Amino acid sequence: MTAPGLVAALLADTGEEEWPARVPGRLEAFLSALPAPVRGAVRTGAGAVDAYAVLHSGRRLNALTPDERQAVLDSLAARPRLLPILDLLKVPVLLAAATERTPAPRPSAAPADPPLDCVPAAEWPTRTRADAVVVGSGAGGAVAARTLARAGLDVVVLEEGEHHTTASFGTRAPLERFTDLYRDGGATAALGDPPLLLPVGRAVGGTTVVNSGTCYRTPDHVVDRWSGRYGFHLADGLPARLDEIERTLRVATQPLDVLGANGLLALAGAERLGWRAAPLRRNAPGCKGSCQCVVGCPTGAKQSVQLSVLPDACAAGARIVTGARVLRVLLDRDLPGGPRAAGVLARRADGSELEILSPLVVTAAGALQTPALLRRSGLGRHPRLGRNLSVHPATSVAGRFAEPVTSWSGVLQSVGVEELHSRGILIEATASPPGMSSFVLPGLGRPLRRELEAADRLAVLGAMIADRPSGRVHGRDRTLVRYRLDPRDGARLIEAVGAMGRILFAAGAQEVLTGIPRAPRVYTPTELDSVLATLTPRDLHLSAFHPTGTVAAGGDPQRAPADPEGRLRGVHGVLVVDASVLPGCPEVNPQLSIMAAALAVTENYLEREVSRRTSTAA
Amino acid sequence: MRGTRFTETMLGTVRLDPGGPVRRIRLDLRARAEEVLRPHRTVRARVDGRVRVAGLADDPDATGELEISPLAGRRIAYRLSFTAQGRRLTLDGWKSVTARHPVRSMTVLPFSLYEDGAPIGQGTLRFPLATGLAPFLLSFRFPRHEDGDRFLAPRWDGSPGRTEVWYTTLTDPATGTGLWLHHELVAPTDGSAPTAHGWAAVFPPEGKVTHARFGPVPWSGPTHGFTAGDVTAGPGRLSGSAGDLSWNLTEQPAAEPLFTFPRWSWRRPLLPATHMLPAARATYDGTFATPDGTLTLHGAPGASARINGHGNARRWAWLHADLGDGAVLEVVAAVSTRPLLRRLPPLVFLRLRHRGRTWPRRAERSAVGLLGVGRFRADIGLPRWTVTGRTLLRRIRVDVTQPAERTLALDYRDPDGAPAVCRNSESADATILLERWWGRWRTEASWTLSGTAHAEVGDR
Repeated sequence: MTAPGLVAALLADTGEEEWPARVPGRLEAFLSALPAPVRGAVRTGAGAVDAYAVLHSGRRLNALTPDERQAVLDSLAARPRLLPILDLLKVPVLLAAATERTPAPRPSAAPADPPLDCVPAAEWPTRTRADAVVVGSGAGGAVAARTLARAGLDVVVLEEGEHHTTASFGTRAPLERFTDLYRDGGATAALGDPPLLLPVGRAVGGTTVVNSGTCYRTPDHVVDRWSGRYGFHLADGLPARLDEIERTLRVATQPLDVLGANGLLALAGAERLGWRAAPLRRNAPGCKGSCQCVVGCPTGAKQSVQLSVLPDACAAGARIVTGARVLRVLLDRDLPGGPRAAGVLARRADGSELEILSPLVVTAAGALQTPALLRRSGLGRHPRLGRNLSVHPATSVAGRFAEPVTSWSGVLQSVGVEELHSRGILIEATASPPGMSSFVLPGLGRPLRRELEAADRLAVLGAMIADRPSGRVHGRDRTLVRYRLDPRDGARLIEAVGAMGRILFAAGAQEVLTGIPRAPRVYTPTELDSVLATLTPRDLHLSAFHPTGTVAAGGDPQRAPADPEGRLRGVHGVLVVDASVLPGCPEVNPQLSIMAAALAVTENYLEREVSRRTSTAA
Repeated sequence: MRGTRFTETMLGTVRLDPGGPVRRIRLDLRARAEEVLRPHRTVRARVDGRVRVAGLADDPDATGELEISPLAGRRIAYRLSFTAQGRRLTLDGWKSVTARHPVRSMTVLPFSLYEDGAPIGQGTLRFPLATGLAPFLLSFRFPRHEDGDRFLAPRWDGSPGRTEVWYTTLTDPATGTGLWLHHELVAPTDGSAPTAHGWAAVFPPEGKVTHARFGPVPWSGPTHGFTAGDVTAGPGRLSGSAGDLSWNLTEQPAAEPLFTFPRWSWRRPLLPATHMLPAARATYDGTFATPDGTLTLHGAPGASARINGHGNARRWAWLHADLGDGAVLEVVAAVSTRPLLRRLPPLVFLRLRHRGRTWPRRAERSAVGLLGVGRFRADIGLPRWTVTGRTLLRRIRVDVTQPAERTLALDYRDPDGAPAVCRNSESADATILLERWWGRWRTEASWTLSGTAHAEVGDR
């Protein structure tokens, strides 16, 4: 068990209820899925609090009475500088607590998933050949695999994660799924000023398994910028390809019937302010409002690519190898015309290795992993590889209402408020399963427990910012993400908090929980504005989503590691089809943009191959 | 241009079906590349050999290809097709070379087995370092690949006192008739105009040896071979007439060139004469008309040879023996006319091409031995002459018999006008015994040729 004293103190456990006693065990299980540095930091923090308790009361937290524990926490809370650190300790404890406090899910009758040709890496031969290898089965990789397989190529998709079925989602607690479906147990972070939590998925289907299902088309001005300013000419064909992707994913506006109170309040607040807002377009026909998108849809409504694109790819002959981490792109270095991709080397979970020879390697490992893969392969010499990282910095705000909202009942990301989108701010009503919100409840001990008990009256809004590319992905074997928030984007975040507060107040919120430790509650829009006037972005709890642009495609060989057709420069036979190929921030949830770009890159490759073979034959 | 040849043996296991028995597998491969193995480049080679899978396959005729790229591609890939109980299987795998594990990665070959493109099993082969490394390294050869036709071009540079010969000998397998076509360029020592002449001879198994001369005619200076009137001897084709003999033959080279004398002596004519075969073996098709009838040849074995020098030797013997299965023996034993050299015993140039290799490895070995020790010896006489010789672990004895009734005596004339007499038989007999030392001398191979050896003895 991990830090039972700290857990008991934070949750104000008096021993009257049974579930808090199970939280330390759950926390231990959760921490074991996290990277060692994160695990060590949490344990060090818990140890520090325990040491403070010894200094304060002569005994460790575990040996104190509830009142004495509260006294220790009150003493800590009196030091404002410690509050952000204590908030970081609260996050895993609240996750574990929510899991134990929420009744275990009843196995639901999930529909059978469309068949996939998945083979665990342990059963895949050590030496095989293919016409094309796709590294990663997320949004970009799935589309590339389907396009290539339909063209008659023998395609193998290599996926580091495992295949999870819809039925398996319905029988497991959200936290267990969370640690399985996310890289590093969801603890991926960007170091910088301020640090950002940057969760990315790792499973067959990639991040599409755990995203919210929101499907925005690439805005026209973004398409124009990619094509005009960056020379990514394939962007000109994106609108038609976005149509095809929307048909594949069955994208439609979310009906109001299962929207949930969280989304309805956002609509009401925006309407009273006269702001543009509407239910989001999503790839979840028949959504039942389970609000579990971020840990895998348990009803199979969300058309993640493992339910929509990969089955078509497999029907066309593609095969998916799961549990295989690609270590290197193999190269033939002595060919006329420069080096050429020859296949990939991958590692199984047991440490053994397998190789697949293929003249075409399609990298779709995500914007955080593709640069490292290329560096490991000796293809990371371009000075801009790993740079140009764009994310959507995001923060969230909650409003307390008189009536129960029960935000975790309904569509997870339901309503978009686009009034400020032209200024780079996109507000989306985003609830989450209990404990998994990036919004951190205020208080320590008994105040926190009261917030926890009253969490059903909170409505949560989130805002994400179209940033200036300010990040960089380092590393070969293990990625290190650095991100320095641009001052313009910091100001946008502060403005977004104010806008979300106004929506919540307009919807009838009694108070707004800012998530800011030194000013956790405000009661009027005026008070909110005065609080925001004193804030810096560093005071906010920030997350980030949608990393893009680390192997950007473009016309300038000095600035773009990939050429305008998505081919990696400096080598033949490597296509980049994931978010890293996007030249800049898409300014909206990027799934459709990534998939359309992948479609454009692979279709263009096939056309080139056909014309090359025709000219060779002639 | 040189190629690469080597042999390799690998042992391992294979499992055909999941859960099925693990079977032992052994590969004995011969690899042939058209270029010299260079570790920093990718070299492709053809392989053949024997594949054995316990209880499943023993195919001595497996074939496939090898991609050797230890540094450029960091892999050595094998793809072999073989037959197992009537099923055509393909073994496809590669060693993945890495500097972290140089030995393991260069010796372990994981592979997959396919039938009609569908995977049916996988396994791992290992190169047995302890027992396999020495044979593997010693097996490396870098044979030349040459276009024999280029050796048919005349070498004469206008100098007086030179002789250049194109001659072809063959045996009609249908009738046992030996044929000899001799084409000669003579540049007299006195500086007068060069002339071309020659002869054709027929050696029927029964009956009289006949011959007819053509020329001499002025040398016309052809660039690709020999021409004298209607007689031509060029790449792939021999035609002409002499007296009442006429011929029209095509030549198909069946082996790489063979240098009877050291190769350098052909490039730089420092020796009194030098001899080589543009193709160690060749086959001939076409017709050869004689007064007694026309021979129609189909795949008749033989060879063309080239001589470039200052004239005939003081005393010489020559043998060309097609031993079958690609083996061929070429022997020239000669005593020079030069002062001092004429006092030496015959220098023997013996070249045996057998199982793809030429022995002795250097032409000088049989002639001068090791610093004069261990040279091969010739006992030249008629109707029988012999050559014997040995290297460290191998020895040979060649007995040639030229029966008088199957031998043709012809007068030769050097560029300076000196005469010589040649006694030639294209239907001679020969016995050849090749032995190898392995505790004692053991017979490695022996051949007996009855009427199919081509031989000649000359003196003055």
